[in-house]
Amino acid sequence: MINIIDVGLGNIRSIEYWLDRSNLFYKRVSKVESITDDAIIIPGVASAGEYMHRLKKTGLDKEIIERSGQEQKIIGICLGFQILTDYSEEDGGTECLGILKGSTKYIDEHKTHNGWNSFYLDTRKLSKNMHIKKKQKKIASGRVYFNHELKVELDCKAYVKSTGDGVTSFAIQNNIFGFQFHPEKSQKTGQELLELIV
Amino acid sequence: MSFRISATVLIGHNGNAIQSYGFKKKRILGNLQKVLKFLDAYEVDEIHAIVPFKGEGDSGSSSIFSHLSELSISTPLGIGGGITERNIEEITQDPFFERCIFNSAIFNNPELLKKTKSIMGHQSMVASIPFIINDDNLKVYNSKSDSFQAIKDELWKEVESNFNEILLLDTNAEGDKQGFNFEVLKYVKFPIDRIIISGGITKNDIKKAKKIGMAGVSIDNFALHSEYSIRALR
Repeated sequence: MINIIDVGLGNIRSIEYWLDRSNLFYKRVSKVESITDDAIIIPGVASAGEYMHRLKKTGLDKEIIERSGQEQKIIGICLGFQILTDYSEEDGGTECLGILKGSTKYIDEHKTHNGWNSFYLDTRKLSKNMHIKKKQKKIASGRVYFNHELKVELDCKAYVKSTGDGVTSFAIQNNIFGFQFHPEKSQKTGQELLELIV
Repeated sequence: MSFRISATVLIGHNGNAIQSYGFKKKRILGNLQKVLKFLDAYEVDEIHAIVPFKGEGDSGSSSIFSHLSELSISTPLGIGGGITERNIEEITQDPFFERCIFNSAIFNNPELLKKTKSIMGHQSMVASIPFIINDDNLKVYNSKSDSFQAIKDELWKEVESNFNEILLLDTNAEGDKQGFNFEVLKYVKFPIDRIIISGGITKNDIKKAKKIGMAGVSIDNFALHSEYSIRALR
């Protein structure tokens, strides 16, 4: 049963529909006791300060950090990816989860990055440490949807791909999966990606 | 970043999708959920679903959006129309959409904008700017007063700081294929790469918008009736 973190923020409904379309079971998790040992999805569409405030208030921040250390799969989407880093510049500066060493900064000159970029992931290119189940299908490719103003800059070893304009598109470090784009709103490609990683 | 071909769908109070012509006449297009499903299947880059609410009082938007939330679509969705301080928490409590579109709040409700930003993030904020140009003057529609009014430079500054993108709607050309009035760009004080244009969009308009570095266009029933192939336009 996949966990979707629910602190009253983020496009959780869109994430549920995404999982539904691939016939996956899930539940919303708003307190520590409810988390299962399956993958944890941290959704996007919120601001870092308020999201971290609510995670801390519920104790879910510590629980996610602990479980990430126990090799439980964590999937961060957009803001959910950004708060996996140590720190975000959003909301005047926000201390984040620190699961991925690095920080989240405003895109140069406060530009915005909205729209679609190409995407390609071949799981055969990933090292064996990455938590990807062996499946017949190995590749997800197509286009994915971005809508963000901050970008992740990692200072750690991970499988990282960037867009042509210097934005970290996604990063995979063993059991940690961070996507700057919204796979749940990336039509066919988002669905292919989901079926590859869970 | 890729240029976006989005689609705008207006929502009537009976839950039907409607098409507006010249900001005046309205025609029912059909069941809203079916319309959105078609647009999803056509793989438009984004959908803007807007309740054309005018005036004050209870807009009824939260119940319309709640109905919309039952629809599973995999295309990015922005919703707007009748979002107020009274219903913002209800609407954003369990979002099935990625972006919030505002009109009258641009003029007089910074608190609502601030609240929405704190819940949804600045990247989700879109300003809907329906306009007319009269005697070399730009006037922007304010749904609360149901009138067109001038925008001062200070307000443009507010718009730039509060919104991630703006959706410029040429009200004279809406629902038509007469072409978007690019003259408006003389008056708009907002970064060109964060502007989406709508109303009367033709293939030439799309080429021009791409060439001058705009964020995208939002087309209406042409997408729905398959008159344009979204992939070919892209």
